[in-house]
Amino acid sequence: MKRFNSTLGRIAIVASLVLFVVLWVGMVVAGVTGGETEYQLTTLQPQGPFSTLIDNLVAPVFIIAGVVFVGVLGAIFYIIMKYREKGDPELDLTPMPKQTHGHTAAEITWTAIPAAILAVVAVLTAVTILDLSAEEPDSVQVEVFGQQWWWGYRYDVNNDGRFDSDSDVETSTELVIPVGRPVQLSVTSNDVIHSFWIPALNGKRDAVPGMVSPWKLQADEPGVYRGQCTEFCGLSHANMRMLVRAIPAEDFDRWVADQQKPAPEPVTEAEKAGLSEWKNNCGSCHLIDGVNNQQLAENPAALVSGIAPNLTHLMSRGTFAGSIYNLHYPNKVGNDQPFGATCTRDTLADCGDPADVALAGNPDNPVYRPALEAWLRNAPAMKPMAPDQGRGMPNLGLTQDQIDVIVAYLETLK
Amino acid sequence: MTVTDAPLELTSGDEPPRRTLGVFARPTASTGWRSWFTSVDHKKIGVMYGATALFFFIIGGVEALLIRAQLWAPRGTLLNADQYNQVFTMHGTTMIFLVVMPIGAAFANYLMPLQIGARDVAFPRINAFSFWAFLAGGIFLNSSWFLGGGADGGWFMYAPNSTVTFSPSNGIDFWNIGLLITGIASLTGAVNLIVTVLNMRAPGMTLMKMPVFTWMTLVSQFLLLFAIPVLTSAQFLLLFDRNFDAAFFDVAKGGQPLLWEHLFWIFGHPEVYLMILPAFGLVSDILPVFSRKPIFGYTFIVFSGVAIGFMGWGVWAHHMFVSGIGPVSVLVFSLATMFIAVPTGVKILNWTATMVGGKIKLTAPMLFCIGLITMFTIGGLSGVTHSVAPADTQQTDTYYIVAHFHYVLFGGAFFGFMAGFYFYWPKVFGYLLNEKLGKANFWLMFVGFNLTFGPMHVLGLQGMSRRIYTYDAGYGFEFWNRLATIGAFLLASSIALFIFNIFYSKSKAKNLPNPGPDPWDARTIEWMIPSPTPVYNFDPVPTVERLDDFWYRKYGETEDGRLVRIASTEEVTQSAEGEHNVHLPSPSYWPLVAAIGLPIIGWGLIFTWWLCLIGGLLTAGALYAWALEPPDDPEAGHDHHPHEGSAPEGEVAVSDAETDEAGADREVETVG
Repeated sequence: MKRFNSTLGRIAIVASLVLFVVLWVGMVVAGVTGGETEYQLTTLQPQGPFSTLIDNLVAPVFIIAGVVFVGVLGAIFYIIMKYREKGDPELDLTPMPKQTHGHTAAEITWTAIPAAILAVVAVLTAVTILDLSAEEPDSVQVEVFGQQWWWGYRYDVNNDGRFDSDSDVETSTELVIPVGRPVQLSVTSNDVIHSFWIPALNGKRDAVPGMVSPWKLQADEPGVYRGQCTEFCGLSHANMRMLVRAIPAEDFDRWVADQQKPAPEPVTEAEKAGLSEWKNNCGSCHLIDGVNNQQLAENPAALVSGIAPNLTHLMSRGTFAGSIYNLHYPNKVGNDQPFGATCTRDTLADCGDPADVALAGNPDNPVYRPALEAWLRNAPAMKPMAPDQGRGMPNLGLTQDQIDVIVAYLETLK
Repeated sequence: MTVTDAPLELTSGDEPPRRTLGVFARPTASTGWRSWFTSVDHKKIGVMYGATALFFFIIGGVEALLIRAQLWAPRGTLLNADQYNQVFTMHGTTMIFLVVMPIGAAFANYLMPLQIGARDVAFPRINAFSFWAFLAGGIFLNSSWFLGGGADGGWFMYAPNSTVTFSPSNGIDFWNIGLLITGIASLTGAVNLIVTVLNMRAPGMTLMKMPVFTWMTLVSQFLLLFAIPVLTSAQFLLLFDRNFDAAFFDVAKGGQPLLWEHLFWIFGHPEVYLMILPAFGLVSDILPVFSRKPIFGYTFIVFSGVAIGFMGWGVWAHHMFVSGIGPVSVLVFSLATMFIAVPTGVKILNWTATMVGGKIKLTAPMLFCIGLITMFTIGGLSGVTHSVAPADTQQTDTYYIVAHFHYVLFGGAFFGFMAGFYFYWPKVFGYLLNEKLGKANFWLMFVGFNLTFGPMHVLGLQGMSRRIYTYDAGYGFEFWNRLATIGAFLLASSIALFIFNIFYSKSKAKNLPNPGPDPWDARTIEWMIPSPTPVYNFDPVPTVERLDDFWYRKYGETEDGRLVRIASTEEVTQSAEGEHNVHLPSPSYWPLVAAIGLPIIGWGLIFTWWLCLIGGLLTAGALYAWALEPPDDPEAGHDHHPHEGSAPEGEVAVSDAETDEAGADREVETVG
């Protein structure tokens, strides 16, 4: 029985150690490969110059840490195997090992060596911190403002250092940027502390109320880049996502020109009815440029943050509600042409699963009405919010007829 | 030690007529369940700290399992967003303030006086009050579950998200006032333990002859002494913002949210070190026992601990690298943080060197020590990776950080505590924990721990944010979350095995002989005395000549480092037999009563003012009565006869004039 127990024990110990090694090897493999390319939040596959700067710093630090990790753990394992008391541990331990109390030279050595390694890391770190905080010339200036639980953006189009001139552009939920050009962000918040983070393009920067913090982004390739609010900001923190669309420079200029326009007038009866319903039900918080500017200027939204997402060009966005739902059909997996390759209303089968929000909706595709309608029917059921405390959108109690006309109107907001 | 005589005479000269008070008569029982409520014995208080912390550990553990169950798959539905936010807030708060800190306090209370050869701590009644205040704070904090829900702002409680506008429920008030109460407990405890270490050491025990655990207790209590007031001041700002319409964190009225961040982390980072240092101390004392060698580089081990204590104050803003404090601040704190890794690395290498050339006995406590060294190494290395500020802008507030600090606090502190539990169990309870179960306990915990927190490194690097109740499929989170959840339940089962071992070993112990004073062939003087520790600790108090004094009473060392047995263990240990005329502080109701008043004030602040009055009167009255009550019951202490009832021989208190080693063994009690 005793022998059986000790065999079983030995198997368990070896199994534990093997599991430990397998786990860590698996993790290192996952880390080195950076996961699959569709893992849009990974920090391990930089897609812009700033995230690459960080990655170039992280890689040697991880290598050093890995060497120390293997070295120290390996040494400890070796020492234990070599010096462990073999046989029955209950036996007397005499003769005792040689007694050593310390070794000053050894102490100095193993104080100096880590200090030297860290000094090298410190220099690399200092250089990178300064590089990352340098101002970029010829950058797009964007004010990023966070509030529970969505992000808004204002573009300083005329480069006058302000974000509220007439020609400036305000949008929400999705940040559109030109490829290959630095974007200088001024990050702030309208209520609590949030954190703006697009892992593929740069690290994160907190959005602190009362403070404007500089940060910057740049994407090397067109595409959709995901982010997630990383400073706990209350109830729906998990549902406060970011989405950056990087588009070619000429498309960007066209996009800005489109965004500068006010909303079009409704044409059909349904659209006209929709506008009227929208004004009654939505216009006290949301802004549609050219529709209710005056009203909101006189009576700002009765929200703690004082602002709701700007809907002027809602349909130019692929996602809504903090990018947790698709507003349009996404492209299918593998169809990685980001902004232009489209499916049509007749060929929805060519689109991806619209409920799969990891496949971001493509604004050129048809509107995914079920999500939008469900939102209008009962928004707090779609995303935890606290509308009775002025934080988030209430259930407006709309009828299906009201929803139909409002959606008809919203669909005109290209 | 002579300082005590005057106050003792002063107070005991005025004897209130307690006998006439009936049920309010000063308690005298030192055994039986009632004695626990009035005891001022550091050992009973230590045990109560430990038991209470383990109870809260189970609560915090259940909260952790809820979190892991929720994250088992994308879009989990076990908890809603609000519940999840409460659960992770209370998990962190519970584990830090009600588990890791009090377990450190448990060891410090029970063990440190024994390691320095003291009869008790400097202020025994304050010690009892510290414990009861901690328990009161813990109960108060958790009463929120039944009174409208727990706090939902995260354990770091960043303003303004923690103000009434954004969290109108009472949860954060419970958090705030609860931690103010446990803060009182920590502060009084810190003063007590510092005074004890500095004033009550056995004759001959200079600072550099103290066991490492005592050293680390000293350092961590100093950290506590200076860190808690910073948290307290921040909490008062929050209290005024929430309860009295102040605007310290309201930007619209000129407030500044970063003020909270700075204050919180000026407390928060020393807090990390004061949680880990006691475990470092335990390992430094246990490792040599099972390596059969002295600790390698005692001086370096001690001073690296002290260095960590000092440097720990200069790194707080590494929690704020992304908060917008500017590149110069980021740079300074980044470099400071890197270099705090140096003394930490020194400790790890010294522990490793202690094992080199030894005869390593892989007992359960030794396994847990090795667990600490290896797992803490991982936590330390991941710590270095985010001391690199630009890297931290990617890693902070992701699961990578969650992995890091669990490797530090669970893999570090808690493995150290487990080593301490297995090692000191016979000294405290008079029976050994089963070794086989102990080893199984270690391996299960080792596997469960790594499976739980290892995958979080990958999750964080793949971009999984902290504190999110839900995540979507398609980001590569599913597999690693699943592993972590499996690991969490394994980890929980290892705790269940530990608890089973306690009861199993106790039931088996009836048929086994007492393990004796020194079951491990240990080194420090707490192993000279019988197991379980007699109520008077030492009789007589030993005169300490060198580090590891007890060891060198058993063994001599030749010039070339060979050990020679010079005395049998029986010859140099103390016996519980015979007369032990030791004078001990008397029990008291007042610490308990004073502590009971505190949460009542708290409930009053939240619900209705007249409760404040009741609680305030209770606490103030108890403090008043306490002030009038002499530290020692004159009727019990100076009568030269036992208490009425059947107190065992060993607990007979007699005049302090009769003790043998001139003054050294008299407890110092001045105002306590």
